Amino acid sequence: MIIPHSRLLCAAACALALSACNDEGSDKSQYGSSPDLPAPQEYLIPPMRVAPAGSWREGETPKVAAGLQVRAIATGLMHPRSVYTLLNGDVLIVESNGPKAPINRPKDYIMGVVKGYAGTGAPGGNRITLVRYTEGQPPLQTIFLDKPNSPFGVALVGNDLYVANTDAIMRYPYKTGETQITAPGEVLTELPAGPINHHWTKSLVASPDGTKLYVGAGSNSNITENGMAAEAGRAAIYEVDRATGAKRIFASGLRNPNGLQFELHTGQLWAVVNERDEIGPDLVPDYLTSVRDGGFYGWPYSYFGQHLDPRVQPQRPDLVARAISPDYALGSHVAPLGLVFSNPSSLPVAYRNGAFVGEHGSWDRSPLSGYKVVYIPFKDGRPDGNPVDVVTGFLSADEKTQGRPVGLALDATGALLVADDVGNTVWLVSAGAGATQAAPN
Amino acid sequence: MTDNTRPDIRRPSRPHAHALIVSVGATLLGAAFVTDIAYWLTLNGQWETSSIWLLTGGLIVAFLAALTLLAEVLLRRVGKISWPRFIAIAVAALLALVNAFVHSRDGYTAVVPTGIALSFITTLIIISIGVRGWDLTSLSGTRP
Repeated sequence: MIIPHSRLLCAAACALALSACNDEGSDKSQYGSSPDLPAPQEYLIPPMRVAPAGSWREGETPKVAAGLQVRAIATGLMHPRSVYTLLNGDVLIVESNGPKAPINRPKDYIMGVVKGYAGTGAPGGNRITLVRYTEGQPPLQTIFLDKPNSPFGVALVGNDLYVANTDAIMRYPYKTGETQITAPGEVLTELPAGPINHHWTKSLVASPDGTKLYVGAGSNSNITENGMAAEAGRAAIYEVDRATGAKRIFASGLRNPNGLQFELHTGQLWAVVNERDEIGPDLVPDYLTSVRDGGFYGWPYSYFGQHLDPRVQPQRPDLVARAISPDYALGSHVAPLGLVFSNPSSLPVAYRNGAFVGEHGSWDRSPLSGYKVVYIPFKDGRPDGNPVDVVTGFLSADEKTQGRPVGLALDATGALLVADDVGNTVWLVSAGAGATQAAPN
Repeated sequence: MTDNTRPDIRRPSRPHAHALIVSVGATLLGAAFVTDIAYWLTLNGQWETSSIWLLTGGLIVAFLAALTLLAEVLLRRVGKISWPRFIAIAVAALLALVNAFVHSRDGYTAVVPTGIALSFITTLIIISIGVRGWDLTSLSGTRP
């Protein structure tokens, strides 16, 4: 009951005359390298607007931009979070959810209720499903790997298949064409997890030469409210030596980095990052950024360079001074969780030199933001221009979610795969009939 | 006629049930001010967490105290409500409610400056009432 009436509650709180109730977010875009950043606000009840989880009706699909078509390649999944294409075109679907969060404060209990309402708390399959849908082969949907520990990232190098569980990178033997892994696997390296494990998704990518793995470890809180000790080794991207499992922090100050990907022309590592909550509907924009070796990106002390967060004490002026402002703001609270570069894709020419970003969608701002897949055009290996909506329609007219996009990948034909963790579906977005030829520019 | 076979022993009057419960709630809310000071001095988040649980506990107990007082009034177990004392305690509880929301923020600003200021005012009210006990009714002539 609390959720739909959050504005009423906020109004009641305002009546107590302790906070200005300016909780309506701006429709103005916050895109690019220098987004408009309003002053941070403090709330009695932070703005909350949760789209309740529904489901797709029979035959219903998300909407795609002109020149594209969409179909489901797998349905009836259990909270699919990420997708990965193997060499023979088989697609791995990671079905997962985080470990149960402990209740440290009364607020954690409330947040659990909110998450359940939005479908985020739905039980994950805790498994990896393999789907085969290539032309000329009989379709197949089978359990590929059962009961890994809250998996998220997958990377294949040669005959080694790496799965980033929430607490470790596992290595499994895999040969092209296999449809099931029964080997127990071995731990390549352990990852920060622990009893709180607030941001649990460990995104994974192999370097283009296959010698290193890069893995994200999100922060253990919104803004250090679980104590700095809980943040040890978190809000960081690690570089892991594939042969020995030795790891080092490659970049830090990244609150919740996901969608780790290499841009192949420049060889540069990129990620999408979920920024902090509860200081306003237009703060802090989530972002897409190249990730520099040794770079510090601000969390928790500052955001977008040197904008200090008043909630963090003691501050670290030495770190703030060298905090890198990220490359490209995606908008506040859009919750980007998936990233894939479109080169080389088989989508129309207009989508062939840039990045697709899967935006899971906001719960703490009004109007709602995210809940779509966007395309950000690149030029010379850098973002160049505003995001373009590619896959939408995840929200129904009455603002229920039929689905929520998460992880992205290209399939063997160069079409776009979209994991949908509320619709429990994986969608395939491809060029419409004749669209490739008809596409402008 | 009065019974004069027994000496007139003045039995100390039992406290009203609501007063016992108010004392518990007041203790919890006052303790939140102490843990707020500890957080302010140490910046150790454990104290901040202690404060929000103390406030939450204090508010639940305050609610129970209000129900108990209502029951005692309805059952005519107490005399008239002492409105100045009742209103003072009610204001303290309302401030603590607002403070629970302030303390539900994340990080430093959950306590400093608004949270600890509200804890201080709440505690000041509680102590000024508590020096004369926790009964919120006028005690004279309330017991048979």
